[in-house]
Amino acid sequence: MTPPSASSPTPPPAIPLIQRVVAILWPSFITAGIATIVFATVFDPKTLFMEYDFSRMAIYSVSFFLFWLMGVINAMSTCFFLMPCSIFNKCKTRQDAAAPE
Amino acid sequence: MSEAGFKPGVAVEIEQSLYSKRKKIYPRQVHGLFAALRTSGVVVLLGLYYIIPWLQWDDRQMVLFDLPVRKFYIFGMVFWPQDFFYLALLLIIAAMSLFFFTAVAGRLWCGYACPQTVWTEAFLWIERKIEGSRPQQMKRDKAPMSWNKFRVKASKHFIWIVFSLFTGLTFVGYFSPIRELTYNFFTFNNGPWEIFWIFFYGFATYGNAGWLREQVCTYMCPYARFQSVMIDNDTLVISYDAERGDPRGSRKRSADPKQQGLGDCIDCTICVQVCPTGIDIRDGLQYECIGCAACIDACDDVMDEMGYAKGLIRYTTENTLKGKVTHVFRPRTLAYGFILLVITFGAAYAMLNRTPLAFDMIRDRNTLYRETSDGLIENVYIVKIMNKDKRAHRYQLSVSGLDGISLRMDVDHIEVNSGEMVEIPVRAVVNSGAIHRRSNELSFKLVAEDVEDLAMTEDARFIGPLAER
Repeated sequence: MTPPSASSPTPPPAIPLIQRVVAILWPSFITAGIATIVFATVFDPKTLFMEYDFSRMAIYSVSFFLFWLMGVINAMSTCFFLMPCSIFNKCKTRQDAAAPE
Repeated sequence: MSEAGFKPGVAVEIEQSLYSKRKKIYPRQVHGLFAALRTSGVVVLLGLYYIIPWLQWDDRQMVLFDLPVRKFYIFGMVFWPQDFFYLALLLIIAAMSLFFFTAVAGRLWCGYACPQTVWTEAFLWIERKIEGSRPQQMKRDKAPMSWNKFRVKASKHFIWIVFSLFTGLTFVGYFSPIRELTYNFFTFNNGPWEIFWIFFYGFATYGNAGWLREQVCTYMCPYARFQSVMIDNDTLVISYDAERGDPRGSRKRSADPKQQGLGDCIDCTICVQVCPTGIDIRDGLQYECIGCAACIDACDDVMDEMGYAKGLIRYTTENTLKGKVTHVFRPRTLAYGFILLVITFGAAYAMLNRTPLAFDMIRDRNTLYRETSDGLIENVYIVKIMNKDKRAHRYQLSVSGLDGISLRMDVDHIEVNSGEMVEIPVRAVVNSGAIHRRSNELSFKLVAEDVEDLAMTEDARFIGPLAER
């Protein structure tokens, strides 16, 4: 085994699919929970939506999922912008790697 | 890796491992001291979880975070969203105790108390009851689908789902009165959101404890990832004694390992088979280890059978393994312990001495002031009183700040039941001669008639007709 050099980089350790999915869904789930608690503590949803006949349970639930959605969008964009620039050159690295010598 | 480095084979390998399915782990059943501890943990914690919402306290649910009415009942206490501060304190205490216990004894939480461990244990127990032992399960999973396999799998999932739904129902029962909820559940009368959360939490239980299992610890748990900042060489961890065990190798029970040049480890791999996260503890302390001590029990059994001393795998510290002294009392544990004690006592003090009363005076902004028929100047207020105590109180409201000012109310007494809020209009009247400024500061005092200490003051403005004179 040769020591890693600039011309032959060691591939980064593989990240399983489940870990990728979880990395987006899970932190946003937690922050959505916190956001909902803070939201529910500071505002009484009944007075915020006085003119509508929503139950508090419905408002809490919907706000939780909206917060979750926001978190998912946030996490996905972070992952998107963290993608190495080379990937956007039509996945050249992978083609090169797959081509025979 | 080939000399060319990042080349075809490697690329394919990455592609595969990215999307390869995880290898299912079949933890072998284990008996022993720590298994008994873990089982009792499961029974006690799950028991508490399922029983607590059914307990009553003074004609109401003992523990109820009543979201629909924004009130939180814990034993005799009633909390309102305004008491959020106490929840924050409670969370800090929980975090500090996690730090403290991790520094002293490693991942106790993960191995014995974490809901993920507790429910996974329960699900594993159901799985073993229906599917049989580890070898039986592995054999069945390898075999092609048959009527018998389908029947066994289907009944396992059915029981899991029923158990999960029961868990979800109980969970929602902490937020919405459980007796009604359960009655409505079986008569199909629950609201759509209650049904939704019962199924959502049920699904989460089924998914996490039935399918994801150790992956929750590996990929979802933040604590597992930052545990190393709390652990040092004096922390109790589960460790394989390589000094004593290596070199490993199988041997006859009668053989003398020293003669064969072997250590005490017979390389039976039972420690690996019992591990719920599928690691080999003999490779050293690992991030995936949840500290459940199943490998200790398993290895102790093997050592007994071989007639060797127990403890080839045991709770120990890095320092002990290296032949150094272990310090239980060290700056880290003392600091964590001290902060934990201070916050716990502080929170307990604040909680016990909190005034179970909230009181607000809101001036009616529609009119600045009025002249009454008897020639006095009047300002109108709304008094808001929340009784956070566990019993009803009758309150006296008084006012000071202007000479001869008095209060007029439509009711004789302000009586508020436990956990309720009232809003009453109150008029403050004073002779115009006592008013020397346009805006005056008044001090309202609310005192409970039966408890003198139960009192609060609140300031409000009184607007008078000074400009006219």
